[in-house]
Amino acid sequence: MYIYTCNPDHESMLTCIYEAWASGKGHGNVKLCVEPVEQFRLFDEYIHVDAEETKAESVSRSIWHKISPQMYWEISYALLSFEEDALDTAYRVLILGFHFGARVLDMVQYREVIRFREIRKLVSREVHSFREFLRFYCVNETVYVAHFEPRSRVLMPVASYFTERMPSENWMIIDDVHREAIVHPRDEECYMRILSEEEVFALADTEQEDAYTRLWRNYFHTMGIAQRKNPACQMNHFPLWMRKHVTEFRNPDE
Amino acid sequence: MYTIRTGMTTEEKLEILADAAKYDVACTSSGVERKGKKGMLGNCSAAGICHTFASDGRCISLLKILMTNHCIYDCRYCINRCSNDVPRAAFTPEEICDLTIEFYKRNYIEGLFLSSGIVKSPGHTMELMCQVLYKLRTEYEFNGYIHIKAIPGVPDELIAKAGYLADRVSINMEFAGEDSLKKFAPNKNFKTIMNPMEKISDTIALHRLASGKDARLERSTGNRYLENSIFNVKRLEERGVGRKELPVSLSNGNLRRSFAPAGQSTQMIIGAGNETDYELLQTTQKLYQNYDLKRVFYSAYVPLNEDALLPAIGTPVPLLREHRLYQADWLLRYYGFQADELLTEEKPDFNEQLDPKCDWALRHLNLFPIEIMTASFEMLLRVPGIGPTSAKRIVQSRRYGTLNYEQLKKMGVVLKRAHYFITSGGRMMYKVPIEEQYITKELTVVNRKESWEIVHRNQYHQMSLFDDYAIG
Repeated sequence: MYIYTCNPDHESMLTCIYEAWASGKGHGNVKLCVEPVEQFRLFDEYIHVDAEETKAESVSRSIWHKISPQMYWEISYALLSFEEDALDTAYRVLILGFHFGARVLDMVQYREVIRFREIRKLVSREVHSFREFLRFYCVNETVYVAHFEPRSRVLMPVASYFTERMPSENWMIIDDVHREAIVHPRDEECYMRILSEEEVFALADTEQEDAYTRLWRNYFHTMGIAQRKNPACQMNHFPLWMRKHVTEFRNPDE
Repeated sequence: MYTIRTGMTTEEKLEILADAAKYDVACTSSGVERKGKKGMLGNCSAAGICHTFASDGRCISLLKILMTNHCIYDCRYCINRCSNDVPRAAFTPEEICDLTIEFYKRNYIEGLFLSSGIVKSPGHTMELMCQVLYKLRTEYEFNGYIHIKAIPGVPDELIAKAGYLADRVSINMEFAGEDSLKKFAPNKNFKTIMNPMEKISDTIALHRLASGKDARLERSTGNRYLENSIFNVKRLEERGVGRKELPVSLSNGNLRRSFAPAGQSTQMIIGAGNETDYELLQTTQKLYQNYDLKRVFYSAYVPLNEDALLPAIGTPVPLLREHRLYQADWLLRYYGFQADELLTEEKPDFNEQLDPKCDWALRHLNLFPIEIMTASFEMLLRVPGIGPTSAKRIVQSRRYGTLNYEQLKKMGVVLKRAHYFITSGGRMMYKVPIEEQYITKELTVVNRKESWEIVHRNQYHQMSLFDDYAIG
């Protein structure tokens, strides 16, 4: 088995798909995975692939024109996933896609398609959850800063929602896990920034209490009806791992 | 008379007025899609966004507050009735606007839900509420979601104004029967509730027509394929009278907004009056069909007042009944059921042990099992354990090959309920007899845990050394 590995960014992953496809080793003999590889296996050969713009572009063009634009978006979304087999599953679905065309995602008779839809669903759920649960803190009364720790790389789709929501505010969303940030100056286009060590350190302490965090926490605790208490239901809708930077679940004295 | 305490902080007011508003159930921010605008704050998403979940598991999507809990009415079920001795407070318009804007910017909420006790007169109160909304929309340039509770018995102009400023308007029916309303809310009457509801509904319809949409609100797309659906136009009876439009009253020409684009909703109290489930469900269906309501909410009555006519304080909240009603409400809106299919006058209450859909399927075993590969969308939706999403997926994917049980499971079909009612490739999943008693017994076991948890939610809990004995 030949295992093609690459960095976890969009361009590298598309290049990796290109290389694996073009290698001529047979689809059954190749596997794709994203670095870091957790467990190397003895009898497999590992081939590292670096991002190349032309190859990545040719893959996206082929998907767009030969399958459908929608398929391209589906693949792009699924590649954001943290699941280990996301890249390989996308590759398998593309093999089917080039054969059957745009209707492939309805063909749940193939295991790969089912798995692909699961991965896709996990990503879109995560995006939706963070649209809901992201919390901004007001810094210096001018900038609103939010930290979050997603599993998948959902910063882009989450932030694009907030450009709609707060077009005329200065705000910033920081992904603490992947160390990326989106900065949105008032009334301008937002941009992404990969954070350096110093920047991460400088931005670490933005979650400061003010009058409104107190008011909100108070409001939140008032709203629960004691006679209907149901922590299991609350946990279902709002899992613990998402509560990390959320104002109402943080202890203000910490 | 009331004394308004001066010098109360916003924090204290928020606590009192949020506490007074929390028994209102509607907290949805759905029904309208609106893009953000430069220079303004906010947008709306048609699916709605829940921002957090309170300790009772209900979502908090809007800043749900009363403008004031001073009230001249004496509704028996209400915590804010004038005969209750509770702390009273009132927000100033600026306070409400500031809270909304600052909470919104921090992504705590999706908008404002404004209700109020009645000060001086219904008209006066409604006018104050409209002032708040006007300020929020113009001075504060707020473009997010606003839900306003219309007060029964106010002039049409004020309702119109509220509708133009808010996204959703709702009037609480509270009771499905006129007798109950008279008994529990002596200051209200049915006419002052139904009349504005009708006018709002007609004005929404006219505004939708004027902007090139269908007069009736958008419903779940699945309803298009369901002949039996309550929203099916062919079945709808016309009310037979001319439309009653509200007067146009917004003086500021710059503020062009459509009238209550997210529709209107209402709420009914469960367990205080003596309505049966059948009456409640019939009323619900009528409201959807005749008044084109977007949602009807049910609120299990939490006993708060000492009153001879009401359940005593400490009586368990009828959560299971509320749950069954919501299940039935979903069956009406998404599954193409009619109220009289689920309940009849002879059997006016829901089965405690089985959900309404299982109950229906067991009464119609002659229609089952159905073949998954050939059954119509309408029939698939009637199988317990198959919902609109999985039915759609089945219809889409069966064109490309047979479906087995593993694939059905992956598509989201709940096989522990569905397998009694379906075949795939002519075979059932297990060898089970199609026999009412047997399947009822089996399904009751499946449902028992869920029902038990809903009823006994607060009475028992997992023991923990740390919480119960303060060790560690």
